[in-house]
Amino acid sequence: MLIAVREVQIPLVAVMLLGGCSAKLLRITRTGSMDGALGPTALFPLRLRGPLAITVCAIELGLGLGLILTAGQLGAGTSAMCMRLGACLLFLVATSALFELRATRPDVGCGCFGDFSTAPVSIRTLARSALLAVAALSTIGLKPIHPPKSSAAALLLLAILAAELVVLGVLSPELGEGLVRLGYAEPCELRDVPTERTMAALRRSKYWRRLSGLIASETPADTWRELCWRYVVYPSTYMDRNAELVFAVFLRQRRPTIHAALVDAVTGEPLPMLPGQPARGWLNLAWLRPVNVLAARLAGLAAPDTASAGPDIPFSSDL
Amino acid sequence: MPSARADCSCCDRCADAGGAEGATAARRRFRKAAIFRPQSEAAYRGRRPTTAGVINGTGSLVPGNGFANPAELPRTVTGTVLDVSPHVLVVGEIGCEQRFILTADAVAWRGSLLEPAAVRQGDRTVIRLHPSNRNVADRIWANIGRVTGIITERSATTLVVDEGATREPQVVTIQPRHLGRILVRFPTLEPGFLVDIIGLRRGGELDGMIPATSQPAYPANRLPTPPLVSGHVPDSISGSATWHEPRDEPPGVLGVAYPALDPETGCAEDAAGRPGHGYMRLPYLAVGSVLRVKNDCTGKDCLVPVTRCASMARLFNDRCVTCGTSPRGRIADLTLASFIALGGELERGCFNATITIGE
Repeated sequence: MLIAVREVQIPLVAVMLLGGCSAKLLRITRTGSMDGALGPTALFPLRLRGPLAITVCAIELGLGLGLILTAGQLGAGTSAMCMRLGACLLFLVATSALFELRATRPDVGCGCFGDFSTAPVSIRTLARSALLAVAALSTIGLKPIHPPKSSAAALLLLAILAAELVVLGVLSPELGEGLVRLGYAEPCELRDVPTERTMAALRRSKYWRRLSGLIASETPADTWRELCWRYVVYPSTYMDRNAELVFAVFLRQRRPTIHAALVDAVTGEPLPMLPGQPARGWLNLAWLRPVNVLAARLAGLAAPDTASAGPDIPFSSDL
Repeated sequence: MPSARADCSCCDRCADAGGAEGATAARRRFRKAAIFRPQSEAAYRGRRPTTAGVINGTGSLVPGNGFANPAELPRTVTGTVLDVSPHVLVVGEIGCEQRFILTADAVAWRGSLLEPAAVRQGDRTVIRLHPSNRNVADRIWANIGRVTGIITERSATTLVVDEGATREPQVVTIQPRHLGRILVRFPTLEPGFLVDIIGLRRGGELDGMIPATSQPAYPANRLPTPPLVSGHVPDSISGSATWHEPRDEPPGVLGVAYPALDPETGCAEDAAGRPGHGYMRLPYLAVGSVLRVKNDCTGKDCLVPVTRCASMARLFNDRCVTCGTSPRGRIADLTLASFIALGGELERGCFNATITIGE
């Protein structure tokens, strides 16, 4: 039974890799560019995003084909081991990158399946990536796969495959997106979404339940929309000074993603803590941030101290 | 002669173009930065989020990370000519003068290209400074004006043009010697049709001289149905970028009027019964959102904030042919300073552009 479970992982991981690569290639052919901020490449400077995305796509293609070709007798041994280890490492790195992406750019999708993966990174996305890493890990050391010798063995493999596909489907936000596209649905960036619907979704959320006590007035100080997000600002107070509670609501029909922050009303500085704010993730990956800062500095794009940056619109005469 | 009507209303998204608009844009950028940047990181760095940073007086932001690159983008000065000689141009007010050296390469425009010394005292000028020297004038436009909108009235040589619910109607006078050139590109100078003309400002009127683009074949109230868009909107969108006169905006603002602001903010254009959507289906943004605008002809690009709605630009389905042929539709209506900073020539009216949203 355990062997059968391990055998199923090879085609499953290979198909996921090839599917991800195909979706990314589809995005390239549709937009003609890979510079767009989607997935963990959004963590890198603009000029590195294209080459990085192409590299990831090539690795996925190579590993996907490699896993299939080395599954049987052909390439058994070291080649198969390298491919499976590579797939495992890829998903481990992807999981870590998604953790970081969720913490630093919570508005960006994972990009795992190109345009299908534009919803913000959620726990489900992280769990899927981790599950695939475990799946790839379980194939290391597995002997060459042979066709099932009996119909019972074939049925067992199919049942395991179906069960795992269901689990992956549950963990994949892209599935809903794909189903929407079977019919015509306007992209969220172009969809007219009434403010009342956004406010209703916000008031039903756990953020509202936990933070509404901080709100000083029932009337929002400002409301605006940018792409798929609507921002709602309420006046608040924080340690005897005027503050603003800012909510960002993803414009989705059901259970929209919501983020919140408390900022100083005068300076716009984010205030360090929100009493009762839900944690963004399970793990504290603050130890990764200095690495990112260093990488950005090496790339020549680390911003200098911008404490003096004024809040006004830039003027030509300032240049 | 037709007279311009003076009543016009304003709305939240088309807020006044003075300091309030800039403050709104800046506040929204900081609030958004606070949401999409972990608070622990902000505290860790102990400073204001940088994604919302703007270029400061010392110009310390590096290329690609700020709103503009001070080392590469041309700067713009606007002022009234006090004196001009073959080598020096003096603009400004009495007691607050700015002197600019005129090089042999400097060119002026005053209805046509001419020597800078031909600019007259009292002319309202827009001066592009040399990238390497703030004291050298590279290009001068004298009394240049532009009217973009819907023709509401027409007499023999005069048009009254509606530029949107938040702007005063404009009177355009077309002299017979310029009429032929304008009719080539704008064959239907009748009420209800769109017009976009560049010319010389004479008081409150525009002396129309150059067609800024080609006229769309449809009346403004019969906009073609926009194509259905499925999937996700691409991050980069190409089209035509134009400029508009400052009017009620402070001159020198680096910003862009965007054709697709969120209709939920309640725009005066919608209240006036104009089409809800423009020709292009662009993703919805708000005042304060930031775009990267790239001039495809010069390769220059910079980040500019959305400062107002482009209620007229969204009605046009024209192409820009400054370098090659752009896709149909106007994607950005830049302030005068932004247009020049990105390498645009005002008298040409547009440049082929690509905007990137969400950086």
